[in-house]
This record gives sequence, structure tokens and C-alpha cells, in this order.
Amino acid sequence: MNVRTAVQVLSDGGVEFVIIGGWSAILHGSAQITNDLDICFSRKPENLGRLAEVLAPYHPRLRDLPQGLPFIWDASTLRNGTVFTLNTDLGIIDLLAEVSGLGTFEEVKAGSVLVEAFGRRVLALDLGSLIKAKRAAGREKDLRALPELEALLEAEEP
Amino acid sequence: MTPEEFDRVAGRLRNPAPGSRIEAAQKYGIDLTLLISQLRLTPEERARELEEAAQIADEVRGAARRRRQ
Repeated sequence: MNVRTAVQVLSDGGVEFVIIGGWSAILHGSAQITNDLDICFSRKPENLGRLAEVLAPYHPRLRDLPQGLPFIWDASTLRNGTVFTLNTDLGIIDLLAEVSGLGTFEEVKAGSVLVEAFGRRVLALDLGSLIKAKRAAGREKDLRALPELEALLEAEEP
Repeated sequence: MTPEEFDRVAGRLRNPAPGSRIEAAQKYGIDLTLLISQLRLTPEERARELEEAAQIADEVRGAARRRRQ
């Protein structure tokens, strides 16, 4: 997974996004390795165009799409969905327009902090929001992450 | 995080208060010393360290697959 390049192309391309999931946990001190990049993106038309454009060179394709079926990667495709689980030349990237427990991009952005990482200044979910999202997602892997995140949150409480 | 904030945070992780969420994490199996090591770093350094770890994990997974073939 080339997460650094992925974040840099999104940032340099002017895409409005928030890093969520495992990489936001890492930025807050989690020691758990993750092999994908989860981001929440704004569904504003101009943002969909930018997102489609900057990722196109990395050949995004839906992971659950059977081999041989055509897949068109453009702003229209992005407009017609809210979750895109992608394989790309940079690795696995999951794009979400909404996050369980938090809501739309604007709500996710309100629960994020500006962080210097990957050579850029980027938005990442804050710890409290990340815990809320993991709890709402409720999958086994999300629940497994909670004890560590809750310890980090408690340790950093004033 | 200032050095003073780090000392306070690391102190809580080194000596979890009884009944705290930190103690619960320790009992769950979370290595709190790893968290202290990560918190000592800037977010940029944390990302870099875990990128390298993820890359090594990918290489090891690939090697194991190749060995099976």
C-alpha cells in the first residue's frame, strides 16, 4: 500500500477529504498496522470531478466486481454511490461519502482535526469521532480496535 | 504534544488507574508500551513508522505465499 502517494495526490489535487479508519488511528498513536486507506469524501460536484481525475492514473476498480465486467471510473459513477471499495495501483482505497455513527462529509469534517502527515496538512478523524464510528460500524474488526483507541483517548484527557 | 503533556499521558499508560479504560485495554492485551512509543513521535513520524511496518508485513506475506507454491 502506497498510502503516502495516495494522500499526496488527493491533497495536491484539491480533493476535499478526511482520513478515517486505521490510518486516522495511527496518526493518533495506534500501533496497529492497516493495509488499506479509508477516506470520507465530499459529494460536491466539483469535488467528485477532482477525485475521479486524481485517482484515474492509478486504475481504480471495484474489488467486488467480477473480472471481465467493465467499470467506468468518473464523476458520474461517484455521484451514483456512497461507498466505493477500490483496488488501485497504490493499494486498497475505500471511499465513503458517509460514515456510520457520524453522518455526511460535513459532519465527519466537523469531527476531524488538521494533522501534518504524509508530507501534507490533512484532515483526520479525531479520536472521539473515530471511536464513535468504530462502535457504530460494529464489525468484529472495528470492535477489536476499540480498547486501544479508548485507552489513547483516556490517556490524553486533560 | 508538549513534553509536559507527553509525561502526563505516558504516566497514565505506565500506571493504569484501577477500573480505567487504560487498564481494560491492558487486560484485553494491548501493549501499552507500544502506545507510549508511538505517542513520543509526531503524527508524521507515526505514519512513516507504520508505513514501513506495513510494507515489511506485505513482503513477508508475499514470501510466505511464494514458499507455499
